[in-house]
Amino acid sequence: MTTSQTLRRPGPSSPGRAPAARPAVRARRARLPVALTAAGFAVAAVLTLPLVFLLIEARGAGAATVTHLIFRRLTADLLWNTVRLTVVVTVLCAVIGTAAAWCVERTNLPGRRVWAVLVVVPLAIPDFVVSFGWASLWTWVQGFRGAVVVMTLAVYPLVYLPVAASLRAADPGQEEVARSLGVGRARTFVRVTLAQARGAILGGCLLVALVLLAEYGAFEILGYQTFTTEIFTEFSVSFSVPAACALSLVLVALGLLVLAGEGMLRGGGRVSRSGPLAARQMPPHRLGRATLPVLAGFGLLTVLALGVPVGASVYWMVARSSHAILGVSLTSAALHTALYAASAGALATAAALPIALLAIRYTGRVRYFLERSTYLVLAMPGVVIAFALAYFSERYGGGLLYQSAPLLVICYSIMFFPLALVGVKASLARAPVSLDEMARSLGQRRLAVLWRVTLRLAGPGLAAAFCLVFLSVVTELTATLLLIPTGVQTLATQFWSYEQNLAYGQAAPFALVMIAVAALPSYVLGRFFDRSAHPHG
Amino acid sequence: MTQLAVTGLYKAFGDHPVLAGVDLEVPAGSLTAILGPSGSGKTTLLRVLAGFERADAGTVTIGGSVVDGPGVYLPPERRRIGYVPQEGSLFPHLTVAANIGFGLPARQRRGPATAELLEAVGLAGLGRRYPHQLSGGQQQRVALARALAIGPKIVLLDEPFASLDAHLRASVRADVQGLLAKTGITGILVTHDQDEALSTADRVAVLRDGRIAQCDAPQDLYDRPADAGIARFIGDANLLDGVLEAGTVETILGRLPVEPGCLASPGPGPAHGRVTVLVRPEQVELRPGASPGRANGRPGAPAGQAGELAGRVVAYGYHGHDAVIHVRPEHDGAAPVIVVRTVGGDQLPPGSPVRLRARGPVLAWPHDATAP
Repeated sequence: MTTSQTLRRPGPSSPGRAPAARPAVRARRARLPVALTAAGFAVAAVLTLPLVFLLIEARGAGAATVTHLIFRRLTADLLWNTVRLTVVVTVLCAVIGTAAAWCVERTNLPGRRVWAVLVVVPLAIPDFVVSFGWASLWTWVQGFRGAVVVMTLAVYPLVYLPVAASLRAADPGQEEVARSLGVGRARTFVRVTLAQARGAILGGCLLVALVLLAEYGAFEILGYQTFTTEIFTEFSVSFSVPAACALSLVLVALGLLVLAGEGMLRGGGRVSRSGPLAARQMPPHRLGRATLPVLAGFGLLTVLALGVPVGASVYWMVARSSHAILGVSLTSAALHTALYAASAGALATAAALPIALLAIRYTGRVRYFLERSTYLVLAMPGVVIAFALAYFSERYGGGLLYQSAPLLVICYSIMFFPLALVGVKASLARAPVSLDEMARSLGQRRLAVLWRVTLRLAGPGLAAAFCLVFLSVVTELTATLLLIPTGVQTLATQFWSYEQNLAYGQAAPFALVMIAVAALPSYVLGRFFDRSAHPHG
Repeated sequence: MTQLAVTGLYKAFGDHPVLAGVDLEVPAGSLTAILGPSGSGKTTLLRVLAGFERADAGTVTIGGSVVDGPGVYLPPERRRIGYVPQEGSLFPHLTVAANIGFGLPARQRRGPATAELLEAVGLAGLGRRYPHQLSGGQQQRVALARALAIGPKIVLLDEPFASLDAHLRASVRADVQGLLAKTGITGILVTHDQDEALSTADRVAVLRDGRIAQCDAPQDLYDRPADAGIARFIGDANLLDGVLEAGTVETILGRLPVEPGCLASPGPGPAHGRVTVLVRPEQVELRPGASPGRANGRPGAPAGQAGELAGRVVAYGYHGHDAVIHVRPEHDGAAPVIVVRTVGGDQLPPGSPVRLRARGPVLAWPHDATAP
């Protein structure tokens, strides 16, 4: 019966059917909507503003000065400190995060659901609180050694989360096929399971490395000097703008290097699923005699990453707190934190919309350029963005914007734009373009379609993007210290000033409130990403 | 009256032309099927008609006014064309009733119109359900009701039955056909399923390499395909080499009369010479058993007695209502396998000797046009 299904082409000389010459084609391309493109360019322009500021300042300072500031002993020391810490912590996080994800997702580990939560919770604890927890209890936690311990425990969930998600989504049947082809258990793990999770591991490592480049508070407490701490000092203590600028350029270059490295390693790696068949569950690997050691490992990880910082905060609060003035300052700080975080969440999510729409719905050079330009932000640590905005608003803004709430919110929105973009893109993917077309063919104009279809479907995801930014702002310290309006305190800055004065008892409650405030959006986020993994589940 | 007219429509994606000069006229109130293999540009054509894509050149005229042409482009929301996509594309966040009322002005959305449409598509009482609570066939019915709600002049159906299983497909198809006939709405159905096109539509347009190769009523298309390629695409076909002479054609199935006038168009066909002959499987009669004169297997004349062709069964496909049998002619290994359709009869295992005889008249085209 196959003959009936194939339609033969007419022969080259079939009479009366000679291919007609192609008529002059009118200039018609799938064009980008003007308003959307304009909005996209505006967002990209604001996002790249800090980098532009940096370059202008570097030019103003003169090439000779900048070269001199870059090529000196201090830079080499900072480079060595930054790079060795980044490499060691990234590798440790990759190992711990991947192993934990595999045990939770693919083995019969007892209490998997509980571990799945406990392993992620440390993400809600700001790095500088983890650092405070450890350093306030034990004096050996400092310098390189302390930084490795603290940062690994603080950021390994950044690898765990994507790897766990990719293991959940990957086709477990591939492992079975590998085994049936005579490949042993260990080699199957390397050649199939790890290969499936490769993109996720790399993505997680990228996040870890970028966090390490940007971290300020934790290293300041530990007395470990990196580019970020030095830029902070140069700008806010020594007021040496050219030095801060020169170091920022090196730091941004490092960030770009990390981004490029991740892109190269990811390369042609593709993970494909063969159809809906793969929704089947595979029986989990049996841990057997390894059960107890693995359980002990999870227990230890939880104690170190969760127990120590939370326990230390509780200890200091109970042992040393003076409750006199605490209530008022705590409420005020919490309110300001929530206000800034909500404003930045809304702004960043709104700004991500046009870029995400362009990225998901359209192809072409303009779209590619716009999306790529937003990646630049990833390479810019908060301290650099804050420094650039602060310096330029002070110098050219007539003092109107410097240390004002709008500038702080804009700074947050730029810093956490990439996070918002991830959430918004994921949410728009749930509103396929075919539904938009459907709505238009039913007589609805573009704006009505956006309101009645696209945003309705994307709503939960937009809320998730908002939460992601909110969470990050609550635990942000570096930029906040540089840009916070005079006389105002957030949870983070108030904690910081107490901690720096060794008033651990006063600092501890702020740490606990930050953890509590950050934990709620984390919970909402977890629910959202679980649901998107199992639609209609 | 022509409801929809398409002339010289071109559309390319990158350097790849998908529509290469489509000309099509659709009479008002008819149901026209656009039939073509996957990748032939069917869906692109539909998307241009709906206004989701703009044509590179050519014009689309609906009800006498140009909606896409030089300097003219009417966006989809102003065309009033109902669209029923393959996957239904119901809005997942809205109830069935809200889906149907989506295109109505806000005041009418909760009115009786949606309930009436629900009843018309046989889903009365399901208005409060959500799309994921419906079966595939129900979703397609809702998608149709939603398209009809805006009072369109034309409804575009993009393989709307492809995802349904066989018996459901037949019933949904019949309902759609009935509903369109009752409302007098012009329907355009895109499909790659020739059975569906032939059995559902008033007219079938065959889309091939980005053009309409032929547009006719189903029976005309089957009986008088414009060329061998279409003959092969529409139903099963035996395409045999033949020599034309004085109104008959000599083939391995014997000398057969040629349909009068079939060579008159296109252009002045040859009155004699090498041609390609179409013999439909149901035009071939099959009798079991070796031909009596050739029982000893002596190689002889191609046709045994009285224009019969001896052969052996190579494949037997049983379909319940009929059987399709592939027969290899015995005398000549290079000759093509002949496909025969029989009603009833005994099971013939491969290797069984049979005799074939064709009934004319047949169609023939100049040899070049076969382009195998």
